[in-house]
Parts: sequence; structure tokens; C-alpha cells
Amino acid sequence: MADAATAVATTEMTVEMIKASQIGMKAISAAIAVGSTGIATAFAEMAIGSAAVGATAENKDVFGLVLLLTVIPETIVIFGLVVSLLLLF
Amino acid sequence: MFNPEQMTRVLIAAPRTQMEPVIRELYRQNLLHVEEFVEQGSEEYEGFRIGTPLPQANEISGKLVQLRGITSAFLIRKEDITPKEKHRQSKLTGLIEEELPSIEKEAEELISRRGQLDTRIREFEQKVESLQPFAGVPFDLELLRGYRMFSVFCGHVAREPVLDLPHEIFSPSGRKEKFIVLLARNQDRSAVEEALVNAQFQAVAVPDENGPAATRIGYYESQIMALKGEMEEINRKLEEIKKNHAEFFLACDELLSADVEMAEAPLRFATTGEAFIVEGWVPSDRMDEFRNGIHYATGGKVFVTEVEPSHERDVAPTEYDNISFAKPTQLLMDVYSRPRYSEVDPTLLVSIIFPIFFGIILGDVGYGAILLALSLGLRKVLTNEEGIQLLKILRNASISSIIFGLLFSEAFGFALPWKSILFSRHLNIGTEVSGHGPEVTSLMVMAIWIGVVQITLGRILGAVNHARQDHGVHRVKAVMANLGWIMVLWGILLMLWGSFAMPTMPDLSGMPAVAAGLNVPSIAGLAMIVAGVLFIASDSALEIVELPTILSHTLSYARLVGVGLSSVAIAMVINFIAIGMIIEPQLGALTPLGVIIIIAGAVVFVIGHLLNTVLGMLGGGLQSLRLQYVEFFTKFYKGGGKKYNPFGMKKRFTED
Repeated sequence: MADAATAVATTEMTVEMIKASQIGMKAISAAIAVGSTGIATAFAEMAIGSAAVGATAENKDVFGLVLLLTVIPETIVIFGLVVSLLLLF
Repeated sequence: MFNPEQMTRVLIAAPRTQMEPVIRELYRQNLLHVEEFVEQGSEEYEGFRIGTPLPQANEISGKLVQLRGITSAFLIRKEDITPKEKHRQSKLTGLIEEELPSIEKEAEELISRRGQLDTRIREFEQKVESLQPFAGVPFDLELLRGYRMFSVFCGHVAREPVLDLPHEIFSPSGRKEKFIVLLARNQDRSAVEEALVNAQFQAVAVPDENGPAATRIGYYESQIMALKGEMEEINRKLEEIKKNHAEFFLACDELLSADVEMAEAPLRFATTGEAFIVEGWVPSDRMDEFRNGIHYATGGKVFVTEVEPSHERDVAPTEYDNISFAKPTQLLMDVYSRPRYSEVDPTLLVSIIFPIFFGIILGDVGYGAILLALSLGLRKVLTNEEGIQLLKILRNASISSIIFGLLFSEAFGFALPWKSILFSRHLNIGTEVSGHGPEVTSLMVMAIWIGVVQITLGRILGAVNHARQDHGVHRVKAVMANLGWIMVLWGILLMLWGSFAMPTMPDLSGMPAVAAGLNVPSIAGLAMIVAGVLFIASDSALEIVELPTILSHTLSYARLVGVGLSSVAIAMVINFIAIGMIIEPQLGALTPLGVIIIIAGAVVFVIGHLLNTVLGMLGGGLQSLRLQYVEFFTKFYKGGGKKYNPFGMKKRFTED
């Protein structure tokens, strides 16, 4: 609180402005959480996906299984999504 | 219900003279899953050899190969044809002897004639192609070859060649590519060639034909026309044969395949000079039928007995034994792996839990209704067995989606006229701000609760499986380890309850601290964790490494809410863009342009929601399936059961 008070004193920020900027920081954090985990998932699924296509070309029966293997790294982005939802609401 | 069909191991011993009636009866019953005999020198099978096929095997195989050749040439496939009537086997056997060879002969002749015609046509087409460049040359082709003193050059050029030697050049006008015929003296040949190279000359061979090229082309084209006419006639005849006899071919195929399978069955038996033995599995509740059938067919000359299976060697095949509601889910089980015979069969559990998870993720009346209509409408298109099973799974899932849509009060992202009965998922995107926004924390805790319950259930089933499958000390330890996993999970929960207040979880944080700042529930939780870890470690110390999966697997259930909320968010964004941003501003003052914009808005609305339906179906289906496969099954399920594949055939085109 002391920091906030000095901030108000030196740059003449109102409490509303600080609140608004905190909301902004939350939004940015949420965006980083979803964005970075999304990239991580994409990298993981890239490798699995190409292997999955190869396996399906060899044997069509494994399609169901490899489709499932491909969505396994989706956990990463879902955790990111959960974190950002908790941040926002 | 939670167990596969119970199987009995049977052994049939009979004199060799009874081999054919026994095989015939086994095939008719379609009950015995034959365990193939392998010569590996085991004591009780000393002196036994693998049997040899019945004498007629070669002849029938030959017929079958010939028939298959015809059916594949006709592109007749079993799946495409629904039998109108069943052919009687006795009648069919006669027809195979009398009629089939003549039809086959006719078809074969037509097919080989068609092949010849095809070659001729291609030959003539090539000739036409080689004649084509000379089409504009008015003189006879034989004038272009056979000179001793002169050289003839024919070909395409990029531009007119520049030559200051005596020569004659002809180039037919009016063609896009410049084609020349050039006549020069032999002694000037190298100079001419150089000039032609400069003009980017590409030589064309003079066809071995007489008369003007255009006439020859006309001749060949009329020949091709005639051949094609003949070919069409043949195709029409073949099509007629296909139409009239397709079902007959398939019936013959079925009968001959059955005969071949029967004739080759002795390859799976153990035989001596005078006797043979078959071992296999029969569903226990049909044992009497099996025994009586064999007895009746052989006049009691065959010995059938039940054998006590040994645990190490004899693995019974698995046949599902589910109520009809759970049957479609067997498809999802087979994608993962068929349960082993001794294992708990979780098909019924999955058939209940999967639609519920799907509904929680895609809880929307509108999307649920679209998917329900889709699953009912596609029944006409997807008629194979797997397709129907898949549609039934989708139907159950979409009904669950509608129910949860009513509970969440959602249709296409809009709120229904009541408040959500479960926790609210409305995100307040755009102008449509109503209510208090999503109750994300409560929803998350609900998802975690679901996870805790399912994982606990999985561990209990794990204990049951180990109690059934293992023996001796390991059995006790394995059961205790599963108990240990449950204790660690609930111990962590107890500690959390003792330390923090959370929505929809018991709040024990108010209790006074007893020791080291921990209150009673926290201490109890800690004790459970320690005891649980000890149980796990006593079974296998390596398992300790897996402890963090308790957290990650439980938290993984948060996807039920996360994926669901993202689907709600997309729906609301579509509504906001289509209605709030495109349609509504136009409604104030309607102009002709405004009407077009409103139509565009409606298109955005429809395409957006269709896209979100597909996304929701994929997301909801795959994520909830993944929760079963990864989070649930890893706790207890091994799979890898043998499919129960009885000796015999489901007859589609024939009958006895």
C-alpha cells in the first residue's frame, strides 16, 4: 500500500487508474499463460502428429489410437487455460 | 456385466473317420474358439502331428481363386450388396458344378476380349499421335523417305531457319507451333543441321505410313471409333452379368470360403494315425448345446470333455457380455484394447461416464440438438457395424449434452430463460452482460471432485483386478499398493481441507492446531500420505517416481471445465460479432445495403456455430475419451485380451 501511495503522490495516479492497470496486468498474464502453453502444445503435437500420419499410412486401423495420442499434449494448453481463467474470474 | 462372457475349455477326441462330420458340425455351430495345436513336444501331446487338409481342399481352393478373380474384375464387394434371398446350400452346390463354370467362362472371355480391344485402341491412338504433326502436310508420307542424294528434316522450330544453300522447305500455315519439312542435298547436311540448331529445331520421326497424313489419321480414328463401340457392347454385357449374377457370385464365394475353411481346419488339430484332438473354448452357458450338437452329428462316436484350464498356459478368449445400452461403447474399448479374460470389463462404466463428460464439456442445448439430429440422420449413410456403434455413442453423448445444456442454461451461447441450475458458465462477452459471470472456481472444484471420484474408482478396480489375477504374497502387496494410492490421494485432500477453505469442499480449516501448526485433519491426512507411500513402496519402490501423477491426473480433469468454457466463449464471440456488431446496428434504419449486411451477419452466425459444433464434438469427444484412456484406465486396465473368434461363419447369402 505504501508503494501505491507514493506512486499516487509522485505521478498523480488515482486509485481507479491503479485498479485499471492491475486489471490490465491480469489480462496480460492470462494471455501469456494461454499463448505460451499453446506454443508448447503445438511443438509437442507437431512431432506426434507427423508420426501419427506416418503410422496411419502404414496401417489404417491405428487411426483412432493415434488421434488420441495426438491430443495428449493438449493437457499443457488446458492447464494454461485453467490458470488464465482463474486469473480473470 | 463387469466380466467378459464366461468360457469353458473343451477337448474333443475322435477317430479320424469322424473328422469331417465333426468339422461340419463345429462350423455349423459357430461356437468353438479353436486353440491351434503347435508341435512343441509337450508331454501329453507326444506322437501327435499337425493334421493335413481334407482331400478336397485343393480343388475347392482352385475354384475359389477363379471365382475371386472374376468378382474382383467386376468390382463386386460384399459390403455393397444386401442379399435379397438366401440361397439354399444344397442347391448352390449343384449350381457351382453346372452353372458357375459357364458364367465364369463367358465373363473371362469378355474380359480378355476387352483387354485385347484396349491394347488395339491404345496402339491406334499412338499412331494418330505420331501422325498429328504431319496433318497439315498435303503430300504423301512415302515422299518423305527413301532418298539417296537428299536428306529430309521434319520437326518443330522456334523460327524460320536461315539457309543460303539450295533447299526446299515446306511449312503448313495456320498452326500454333511452327512445323517444317526441309529437303537438302546430302553434302550440305552439316551446314543445314547447324542452321536448324540455331532455329531450335526438334526433330519428329516420319511415321511408317503411305498416303497423306490427314487421310491416315481419319482412317485410324474411324478404327478407334469402331473398337470403342465394340468395347461398349462388351462392357454392357459384363454389366448385365454383374447385375444378374452378383448375388450368386457372392453366395458361391461364401459357400466355397466356408468349404475351404472347413477343408483346412485339420491344420489346427492334433492328429495321430487313427485319431485327432481339438482343443478350444466355448461360452459356458452354451456348453450343453455344443455337447449335444456334436453327439447328435456323430452318433455318439466322439468324446467331448471339459478341461480345467491351467493359469499359466491357457488364456481364454474374450467376448463382451454387456447389456444393450453399453454395447456401442465396445467400439471405444476395442480402440484401446480388448479386456483380458480375467480382467474387470469397464465397458459399462465408460458407457455411462463418457456421455456425462461429453455433456459437461459441451453443455449446450443447441449444439446437443444439432449433434442428435446428425447422429439420427447419418444412420442411413453409415450402415456398417462400426459406423452404427459410433452413431449410437454420439446419440448418447448429444442427449447428455442437451441435459447439461438445460442445467447450464445455454443454447448456442445464449442464456435460456432460467438461471443455470449448475454453476454458471456465462462469460459476459460483448454487450450481452447479464448475471454475475462464470463461477470458474466452483466449476474447477467440481471438475476436481469428478476426477477424485473417478481415480478412486479406478484404484478400487485396480485392487479387484490384482486380487483376481495375482497369487501369493504379490497379490496382497498389489492390493495394498492400490489402497495406498487411494490413501495418498485422500490424504492430500484432507490436508488441503485442514488448511484452506474452498467452495464445495468441506472446510476444516477452522479447527484448532494441535501440533507443529497442524490441526487434526491435517495430521490425519499426513499420516494417510505416509502410510500410503509405504504401501506403494512395499509393492514396488520404483512406483514412488509416479507419485506426482496423483496431482497431475487429478488436475487434468480441469479440462472438463476449461475446454467447456472455451467452447462457450467461442459461441458468445460468434453471437457478438454476428448479432451485436453486424445485424443490430442495421436494424435501426433499414436500407437495401443494410438487408445485405444482415444476410451476411446471418451467414457468419450459421457458419460460426457450425464450426463451433464440429470443434465441440471433437474437443468434447476426444478430451473425455482421453480422460478414460489416460487418467482412468491406467489405474487398473491392462487390456490385450484375445478376441473370441469361433470356428464358423455368419451366413449372409446362404442357408443350410
